[in-house]
Amino acid sequence: MFKYVLGRIGAMLLTLFLVMTLSFWVIRLMPMTIFENPEVSPEVQRRLEDRMHLHEPMIVQYYYFMKGIVTKGDFGTSVKIRPGLQVFDIIKERIPPTMLLNFFSLLISIPLRILSGTIAALKRNTWIDNVISFLIVIFISVPSFVFASLMQYVFAYAWPIFPTLYNAQAPTIWAAFRSMLLPIIALSLNPIATIARYLRGELIETLSSEYMLLARTKGLTRQEATWRHAFRNSLVPIANTIIPLITGIMGGSLVIEKIFAVPGEGGLLVDSILGGDHFLTVALLIFYSMISLVTIFVVDVSYGIIDPRIRIGGTK
Amino acid sequence: MTVYEPNNLPQELLNIPQGEFERANNDWRSDERFTTEPIGFYKDAFRRLCSNRMSMISMWAILIIIVLAIVVPNVTGYGYTEQNVKQKNLPSKVPLLEQIGIFDGTRVLTNIKKSSIEDPKRYPEGCIINVIREYKAGKQTVVDVKVDYYKYCGVADGEYHWMGTDYLGRDIMTRLFRGTRISLMIAALSVITNLIIGIIYGSIAGYYGGRIDMFLTHLAEVLDGLPYIVVTILFMLWLGSGMLSIVLALTVTGWIGTARLTRAQFYRFKRREYVLAARTLGVPDRKLIFRHILPNTVGPLITRAMIAVPGAIFSESFLAYIGLGIKPPQPSIGILLSEGQKVLLQYPNQTFFPALLISILMIAFNMLSNGLRDAMDPSRRGEE
Repeated sequence: MFKYVLGRIGAMLLTLFLVMTLSFWVIRLMPMTIFENPEVSPEVQRRLEDRMHLHEPMIVQYYYFMKGIVTKGDFGTSVKIRPGLQVFDIIKERIPPTMLLNFFSLLISIPLRILSGTIAALKRNTWIDNVISFLIVIFISVPSFVFASLMQYVFAYAWPIFPTLYNAQAPTIWAAFRSMLLPIIALSLNPIATIARYLRGELIETLSSEYMLLARTKGLTRQEATWRHAFRNSLVPIANTIIPLITGIMGGSLVIEKIFAVPGEGGLLVDSILGGDHFLTVALLIFYSMISLVTIFVVDVSYGIIDPRIRIGGTK
Repeated sequence: MTVYEPNNLPQELLNIPQGEFERANNDWRSDERFTTEPIGFYKDAFRRLCSNRMSMISMWAILIIIVLAIVVPNVTGYGYTEQNVKQKNLPSKVPLLEQIGIFDGTRVLTNIKKSSIEDPKRYPEGCIINVIREYKAGKQTVVDVKVDYYKYCGVADGEYHWMGTDYLGRDIMTRLFRGTRISLMIAALSVITNLIIGIIYGSIAGYYGGRIDMFLTHLAEVLDGLPYIVVTILFMLWLGSGMLSIVLALTVTGWIGTARLTRAQFYRFKRREYVLAARTLGVPDRKLIFRHILPNTVGPLITRAMIAVPGAIFSESFLAYIGLGIKPPQPSIGILLSEGQKVLLQYPNQTFFPALLISILMIAFNMLSNGLRDAMDPSRRGEE
C-alpha cells in the first residue's frame, strides 16, 4: 500500500510539473503588453519589467518561474487585474466566496441526490420514477448556465424574490444568503441529477441480485433487506463520486460565477483570460490542476483501500 | 453386410443399367425455408431502438434541427453578418402569431416624459399602442407606454424578425441556425477525431499488450490527469479562437475514454478461438485488428460517440462564455447565449431562443444515446 501511494504521488508531481511547464510556455509565449498605463513613465516601466525578468530570454524566465514556485511559493505578480499584487494573494482572497457557494451546494445536494435516486429505484416504473427520471434527464442535459440565466430572469427580474447578483456585503446574513441561493441552486442541479441517476441504476441492480433474494428467504422484511443489504452496497461507488465534490469545493464554476458576479475563482479565471493578465492565468491554471490532481489522488487511494483489486500499477 | 473395395467391385454391381435406379422417396426433400428475414445484431438493435418512443421523438427532433440549420439561414433573407444600426434589439415578431398578441413586435417602454410621446419625430405615427401607466415623478408627468417597436424603429411593414435582432441589428434567427450549423459541425468533427485516435490507440494497446500496453496506458493516464478545463483553455489560448482550434482542444483529452473502451474490448476478444484460428491461417496483425476484433467494439463505440455529442456542444458554448469561442462575426449557439446573457434583463428574447434550442438539442441527444445504449447493450438482448 505504501509503495502504491508513493507511486501515485510521483505520478501526481510529474503531472503537476507538466501542467506548470505547459501553462508557462503556452501562455507566456503569447504576445502581451504588460504595462499600458500612460501615466507611468517609460523608465519606471522598464525598471518594473526588469524586476520581473521580462527582458531575459524565455528559458531564463522559465528558470526564474520554476525557482520562484519551488523555493518561495511565488507565482508572480499580477499586471492587469490587480496590478502590483502578488498573484498568490489574489487567489487566496477569492477562495472564501467560492468555497461558501460550493459548500452550501454540497450541503443541499447530497441528501437530495441520495433521496431522489433511492425513491426512483424503489418505486421503479411507477409515475414517481418516471417524473424523477424525466427531471434527471432535463437537469443532466440542459447546461447549467442556461438554468442560471433562466432563474436569474424569472426569480430575480420578472418575479423579484431574489437579488440578481451575488452580494456578500448585504446588510444582514439572511440577505447575503438570499443572494447566494440562485447560484447555489444553479450549481447543484447537474450534480444532483448525475448522482441520482447513478444511484438509481446501482440500486436497481443490487435489488435484483441474488443475495437480496437470500436476505428475503432468510426472513428479512423487504424494508430490512433493502436498507441493510441493497442500500449500503450501492453507496460504496457513490462514496467515490462524492470525494471529487468535496475537494472540488475550492474551484469555482467559471460560467455561473460570471453570470451571478460572484467574486470567486471561476470569475477570476475568466477575467484574467479576457483581460490578458498572463501571470494570473498561469497561476490559476496551476491552482485548478492542483485541486483536480489531489482529487484524483484521494479517489485512487480510497479505491485502493476499498477495493484492493483496483490498485493501478500495484504488484499483483 | 459385405464391404466392397471401391476398385474391386463384383461384376453384377458394375454392370447395373442406369434406368433401373429409382428414388426411394419421390417427393423433393429440403430443409424448411425461413419465411422471415434473418435479423443480425444491428438490425435487432435498430428495431429495439425504433420501439423506444422517446428515442424516436429525439431522433426526429435532431433531424428537424439539422434540416433547419441547413435551410433557415438561406431563406430568412438576412445575412448572418448583415448589420442595421437603426434596427437594434428588436423584439420578435412572427406572422400569424402577431394576430393573437404574442410575438407581435411590441415592447413596453418605461419612464418616458409624457410631452415627448406627442413628438412625431421620436415616436412616429401609430407606433404608440396604449399608455399603460401614468404617474408623477417630480414635476414631470411620466408614462409607461406599449409601443410597436418595429414602427418605432422605422422598420418597413412587411419585415419580420422572428426572433428579433441583436445589439448590432443582426437577425437572430439567421444567426441562431447558422450558429447551430457551426456547433453541430464542431461536435461532429471532434467526436469523429476522438473516435479515430481513440480506436487506433486503444487497438494497439489492447492487441499487443505487454510493454507497449503499459507505456501507452500510462501515457494516457498522465494526459488524463490534466484537468479538462485547464487543457482546453491552454489549447484555446495557444491556437487562438476558431472552429479548428475548438475541435483540437476538445480532442486533446477527449480520445482517452474511447481508447480505454477499445482496449478493454480488445482484451476481451483477442484470446478467443476464432482469432486464434485466423492467426493460424496466417492473417496479418493489421487485418486481425480491424477485420476480426474491432467490429466487436462498434456497438459500445456508437453509444459512446452519441453521448459525446452533447458534451461537445456544451463545451463549445462554455468556451464561448469565457470568451474563447469561435471568431467573432461567426455565430455559434454559445456565442449567442453569452451575448444574450449581457442584455438578459432588458431583452430576454435574445437569450431565450438560443437557450431553448440548445436545451432541446442536448435533451434529444441524451435521450437518443440512452435509447441506443439500451438497444445495443448485449446484456439486455432478447429481453423486451
